[in-house]
Amino acid sequence: MKILVCMKQVPAGTKVDIDPETGAMKRLSGETRTNPYDLFALEAALQLREKVGGSVTVLTMGPPQAEEMMRDAYTMGADDAVILSDRKFAGADVLATSYALSQGITAIGDIDLIICGKQTTDGDTAQVGPAIAEHLGIPHAAWVSEIVDADSESIQVKQDLVSVSQTSKIPYPCLITVDKDMCVPRLPSYLLQKQSKDRPVKIMTFEDMADQNLSKYGLVGSPTAVEKMFAPPEVEKQVYFDGDAKEKTKQLFDVLVNKKVI
Amino acid sequence: MPYPYKKMTQEDFDKIIEITDNERVWVGDEIAKEYYKDEMPEYGVFPPELYVEVLNKEEVSEIMKYAYEQNIPVVCRGAGTGLAGGATCKYGGIMLSVMRMNKIFPVDHKNQTITAQPGALLIDIQAAAKEEGLFYPPDPGEKTASIGGNVITNAGGMKAVRYGLTRDFVRCIEAVMPDGSIMNFSSNVVKNTTGFDVKDLVIGSEGILCILTEVTLKLLPAPTCSSTLVMPFRSLEECADMVPKVLDLPFVPTAIEFLERELIDIVERSLHKLFPVKHGEAVLIVMYDASSKEELDRAVEAAAEAALENGALDCNIAGTPERAASVWEVRGAILEGMKADSVAQEECDVVVPRSEIAEYVKQAKKIASAHGIRVEPCGHCGDGNIHTEMLRGPEMSDEEWKKATHESLTELYALSKKLGGQLSGEHGIGNGRLDFLEEFAGPRMIELYKSIKRAFDDKLILNPGKMIKIDEN
Amino acid sequence: MELIKFDAKRCSLCGKCVEKCPFGALSFEDNGIVVGDTCRMCGMCVRQCPEKAISFEQKAGSFDKDKWKDFLIFVEQERGDIHPVAFELIGEARKMASKVNFKVKCVIAGGAGTIENAHKLLDYGVDQVFAYEDESLEGFRADCYTDVVAECIAAQKPSSVLIGATALGRSLAPRLATRFHTGLTADCTTLDIKSNTDMVQIRPAFGGNIMAQISITKSRPQFATVRYRVMDAAQKVDNAKGEVVVCPVKEEMKQSPIEILKSEVIEKTKNIEDEDVLVVAGRGVRNEKDVEMCEELAKALGGQLAFTRPMIENGFGDVAHQVGLSGRTVRPKLIITCGVSGAIQFTSCMTGSECIVAINNDPEAQIFNVAHYCIVDDLYKVVPYLTELVKEQKGDE
Repeated sequence: MKILVCMKQVPAGTKVDIDPETGAMKRLSGETRTNPYDLFALEAALQLREKVGGSVTVLTMGPPQAEEMMRDAYTMGADDAVILSDRKFAGADVLATSYALSQGITAIGDIDLIICGKQTTDGDTAQVGPAIAEHLGIPHAAWVSEIVDADSESIQVKQDLVSVSQTSKIPYPCLITVDKDMCVPRLPSYLLQKQSKDRPVKIMTFEDMADQNLSKYGLVGSPTAVEKMFAPPEVEKQVYFDGDAKEKTKQLFDVLVNKKVI
Repeated sequence: MPYPYKKMTQEDFDKIIEITDNERVWVGDEIAKEYYKDEMPEYGVFPPELYVEVLNKEEVSEIMKYAYEQNIPVVCRGAGTGLAGGATCKYGGIMLSVMRMNKIFPVDHKNQTITAQPGALLIDIQAAAKEEGLFYPPDPGEKTASIGGNVITNAGGMKAVRYGLTRDFVRCIEAVMPDGSIMNFSSNVVKNTTGFDVKDLVIGSEGILCILTEVTLKLLPAPTCSSTLVMPFRSLEECADMVPKVLDLPFVPTAIEFLERELIDIVERSLHKLFPVKHGEAVLIVMYDASSKEELDRAVEAAAEAALENGALDCNIAGTPERAASVWEVRGAILEGMKADSVAQEECDVVVPRSEIAEYVKQAKKIASAHGIRVEPCGHCGDGNIHTEMLRGPEMSDEEWKKATHESLTELYALSKKLGGQLSGEHGIGNGRLDFLEEFAGPRMIELYKSIKRAFDDKLILNPGKMIKIDEN
Repeated sequence: MELIKFDAKRCSLCGKCVEKCPFGALSFEDNGIVVGDTCRMCGMCVRQCPEKAISFEQKAGSFDKDKWKDFLIFVEQERGDIHPVAFELIGEARKMASKVNFKVKCVIAGGAGTIENAHKLLDYGVDQVFAYEDESLEGFRADCYTDVVAECIAAQKPSSVLIGATALGRSLAPRLATRFHTGLTADCTTLDIKSNTDMVQIRPAFGGNIMAQISITKSRPQFATVRYRVMDAAQKVDNAKGEVVVCPVKEEMKQSPIEILKSEVIEKTKNIEDEDVLVVAGRGVRNEKDVEMCEELAKALGGQLAFTRPMIENGFGDVAHQVGLSGRTVRPKLIITCGVSGAIQFTSCMTGSECIVAINNDPEAQIFNVAHYCIVDDLYKVVPYLTELVKEQKGDE
């Protein structure tokens, strides 16, 4: 069985400051890390491989520097790694990103199961996984909290849909996005690090895509546009209420209702 | 004739209020129950007669003068996070809290020191140093401990392997003596051969010699990166044998800890905190700090190679904060996990020479199981400080448990002594290990301890009945 | 292909773009300014350039927006009831619809009872509700639901489709947006509409540290998932004129390789770390009976009761319900502290909470330094009355 895990390099911190006058984002540090949710996806894939056999391929879209993350995936136990890297993919929103990834997956070929983290820490959209499934025309299950069972034909997963938990059986090929807390990502292994030292990380470019229609990739293929970014409104702090106990309580209640926290 | 101490009267209460403030004095039943004990109620629950929160050294001095005159016992208390039953009013009297004396003075960059009042929290000291790019390393795990408590108990912690103990970071101390006089022990100097080193005697004296009112601590440049390695082994013995090999490398580790699979299972089962390494009957956890990525990589590689040479199944590398957290979270949850998994616990925190760790661990298991107790050794094996956790199963009666733990402890301490170790590496004597200390140290040493106590506190009013027993008749 | 273009004739090499680039992607080279690999196409440089020398190389789309009209709201059902986020979406859509003269339509899909629920929606001033009821839609299978809603979208040609940003909605919306090759903005917290029918969609990014305003100008429909409990719910209207259109669920919509094996109601045994609402009892809460009083407030709010350390030591609860350094770290949407003094050991483990309310009769209590809303008063007067108000409000619904 061939499992593919989608991963992304995200900025190491999430603290972003906005210059209140110009509205410009202050420079982010260049430090990156692997999107933490993707490590759960990789761990789930490795556990499945231990159970049913096969291989685990990791896939990312990004600059060639993403090799560091892919090498890290090797040290956790991934068998193959592919980076989709081309300036033509830059500036992609969810639609264009998921399209390039789905084209990459098709180019890799014969994938039975795709596992994604539930979301990234920079975009927080949680959309790329289901969108890939739609591009590929395969079923998906998002927010998987537990892999109940799996064999070489299908996978049984439990999804938490807030008030209901639903267990389904899905035949391959399919895609799942996994929640954290379903496992703890294993640590990189020194033995695997030595073994994979010379293993290449494959780079795929636009040339490798089956669909050569440029307008479907990158900025041009992205229907959404960021018009501007700004700092979130300051939260009120230390608001005191006046009056007797009842009056204060009523004011508090009204504020809380207004803020929709109750 | 210090004992019996004076039973406090309304007049005494009024006097303390006069020295301080009505708002900061509580008497009798008004005193919150948490001040009757520290983290180990097993080692004694004693209500104070009066509880006072002081604001400055002058108040401390005035109170001590009065208590000295009136023969009233006084116990100084910080955050109350001790594990030896130390900060309790065994003979009633005054509990003097320094938690409102929590000022932290600006970092002195020229001397690379920080000065604070005893009630400042360790976590705040660490933060204040970090803000200036500096680092206060001693970290006994309990971050909400007060710095005064850390100094007076010579707190250790995991990072002692590389950085040493609290003692190694104390430059000077300001303290109030039992008769109310205010003293300075050493000053902000790096070397000192001026007379006895009283400062070092006061550090770790468990509050029976004087009351700290200000401490000055040495700081270090902060390391910029760190990595935690997890080395799985087939047995705890192999794990312990690896410790000297790690220490033999040309890189100084920050911490070395070991964990048995059984303990990991307990934490995973009872708290659902999962450990990121699944193989190995026991794991050695080694942490390195460094000031550059290159230095760190060299240390990690050397340690990993050494591990493989010595029978480790692998060497797993937690090089990011998240990964390190997944390791240390399980390590940090052990006490809670054991609490959830047993009816009661008793702990022995002997320290043995690092060469004897494996031997101690092997024997300790035998001793405890001979007395029908489940035992889980874990701990700071980089410094030989083994926390031997004894767990009470539901089948044991109170009597059986008491008897079995007492007998086990007696044998464990004897074992430690035989191996060239000491009775306590971290928690101290307090009220919980008084009897064991007498046996362990021997009569001449106890005599010496008593003389030191009397030299500071001739009326024996400061935290009486702790660390050493002085006959009450 | 260079996606960001520099007009060398206009560029004065002032360096503003290099300085302002949040990703450090621009640099001075011999032949002018060069875009590096870290460029994320955020467009900051385009806006900052005083000489207007930078532009996106982007093809202008030709898309007839006029063919796409009205709002379509996907109405989620949760265990047989309409998910309340639907009413918030209706309320928001009605506000926007009035600005551009759009209708507000809904699509609802599910098992038995769906048509009945569809009728309930009419009371909220909806023009049309398309209802797909079939037992194959009882559980949520993303592919079947996509087929159903896609059919409705293809028939209705809405300008905007709004979906609740719930677990279900965020699984469904990306499939739909992908099927129509259009844009989707996830987890919006503010919506508005321009006169040209482009929506103004604002959503938090980078863990809420920044807000992004997003538009979908060259394709339709515009998809948005909207966060639950940020918009005002629609009010009922007096003379509801809308209609329910019952749509047949075609055989091919029922087909799915996904087989639902089991569906269980999740029992509420959440850890306090996962709770949205916490009430914390501190030392000011003196005995068992008072703890019950706080517990009742927690229950009324649908949350849990937690404790400070001294309370745990006095046997009111276990460590799993303790907030603080020796207990748990929490960041709920709402935390109400009752009689908590606010020592650092406690506050450092709850300051991430979105809304902090402190009730304490000591005006000097440190807890007030971190609270958003402060009540200096006797908690025995405040807590029961607050509980009463919360219960009353629930009774109204």
